[in-house]
Amino acid sequence: MAGKGSIVCGFIAPHPPHLVYGENPPQNVPRSSGGWEVLRWAYDNCREKIKQLKPDVIVVHTPHWMTLVGHHVTRVPRLKGLSVDPIFPHLFRYQFDTAIDIELADAVYDEARAEGLIARKMTNPNFRLDYGTIVTSHMLNPGWDIPILSLSANNSPYYFSLGVGIEEMYKLGRATRRAIEKTGRRAVLAASNTLSHFHFDREPDPNLPEDMSKEHVFSHANYLWDMRVLTLMREGRMDELLAVLPEFIEKTGAEVKSGGLFWMLAAMGFPKIPARVHGYWSVIATGNAVVEWDLSAQSIGAGAQAHA
Amino acid sequence: MPEGQILKGYIIPGMPHVMLPRETASRRELREACRVAGANVQEARPDALVIFSTQWVSVLGHLVQARPNPMGLHVDENWYDLGDLPYSFRTDLELAQKTIDLGIAAGLQVRPVDYEGFPVDTGTLVALNFLDPKNEIPVVCISCNIYAGREEELKLGKAAADAVRALGRRAVMVASTGLSGHYFTREISDDEDRIVSDADDLENRKLLDLMASGKCVEAMDLVPDYAAKTGADMQFKSYYWMMGALGPSRVRGKVLGYGSIWGSGAAVVEFVT
Repeated sequence: MAGKGSIVCGFIAPHPPHLVYGENPPQNVPRSSGGWEVLRWAYDNCREKIKQLKPDVIVVHTPHWMTLVGHHVTRVPRLKGLSVDPIFPHLFRYQFDTAIDIELADAVYDEARAEGLIARKMTNPNFRLDYGTIVTSHMLNPGWDIPILSLSANNSPYYFSLGVGIEEMYKLGRATRRAIEKTGRRAVLAASNTLSHFHFDREPDPNLPEDMSKEHVFSHANYLWDMRVLTLMREGRMDELLAVLPEFIEKTGAEVKSGGLFWMLAAMGFPKIPARVHGYWSVIATGNAVVEWDLSAQSIGAGAQAHA
Repeated sequence: MPEGQILKGYIIPGMPHVMLPRETASRRELREACRVAGANVQEARPDALVIFSTQWVSVLGHLVQARPNPMGLHVDENWYDLGDLPYSFRTDLELAQKTIDLGIAAGLQVRPVDYEGFPVDTGTLVALNFLDPKNEIPVVCISCNIYAGREEELKLGKAAADAVRALGRRAVMVASTGLSGHYFTREISDDEDRIVSDADDLENRKLLDLMASGKCVEAMDLVPDYAAKTGADMQFKSYYWMMGALGPSRVRGKVLGYGSIWGSGAAVVEFVT
């Protein structure tokens, strides 16, 4: 496959394992009586959209594959196994089995290096996908009938500074876009991130994690911050969004610090179109939103130069 | 039941480079030091190994492995190209539960985990590979809570040691941890490996010298400053845990080896009372 590929859609696609737990899919062992429906219904919209778009690949940037030396791409044809969440093992013990788009992996690797980034190909067939990749991929496409590509989160925002991290993610975003174009893929991007990230230090009721009467966002201040950035997204105010994200991260511990959102926005060319917020709710007090940028009706890259 | 005893304590580096087939002068010294530690542990014939690993990161309190026979194949998320880490070991379930009970009694949030496929971390497996390569000694594995500080880790270490004594075990306590945490963010050849800065090297040596001269309390007091300067592995909080278990005023460290792993600091230290 070659030619002018395109990014057809980008999602903020948070990965709390609670969402899979609440859904009770056959791949997951623990059973629940539901919970976090507003977020799960939000993902229903994404699933429907993906079915309509028929993408070739879903590219996931995940904060739970944290790499020390460069940006890593999964580069084996198939990965499968049992993923047990190290933090919430009572909620998430999931049998995954997915095809990996290795041609795109090679292209992202090449383009990342062309941007001056350090990159690595993960070629170990026994590698266990991280739960961020798995939860996001499941929530977007529970049938797993579309190949994925998982990109690691280099820890430069934590090791150096947020500024260094953002710069790297802009480069990785550009690299990803070029790789998609050159390989002719119709791609969906997924930034696997929560928003505000302060959380309870213990589960309110470990025996009934899905008790929604105990679920609320960590603080009103965090809620207001989440609403502020979501409003900017909904109104397509990209420049203001980019300007406010560093302060948002500082004030709320937002998981977007790990890079996925910056990567995705750069890959999409910083689109100044209204994003669609499918849903927002808290999970163990963190703020989570499912957000969509639909690029299927337009070309990408128009705004890329302004921020890159 | 006779009162149990803490036989020794060890700091062991948890990076896979020290056990998987890569040869540099520095890593060779560390590898040999790990083997000496392993020989000493085998000679001591403990009933249990109690391992606190900085690479088993927990968020909601501390976790304790409670699966009777954890087994599987681990692949490190960063160093997957070095090879796989197959494992199968036995948990000292009674000691694990007693550690949990005493930790909770001390006001900590401590929980068991007993799930097939629960990820066992690289640091635990590297320590086990050297200290008990045949997996003959029952183990208690303890996580490293990212939010815990000195007081919590001291309490957790003491809880583990009290559990050992209460159950009449003869145990070796192990902290699987690095020292300075700054590392090369680029690709390096094995021959290039060294501590990334002289400043980190100096701070590591200062801390190790205190341990080796029996000034373990002073070393503990130095940890916050040391961690801030060197980006130490999980703020070097595993040392608090170790001192909580051993009693800092009663022990002396012996540095069996010191070197670099991908630019970070690593040491093998043996503590005896």
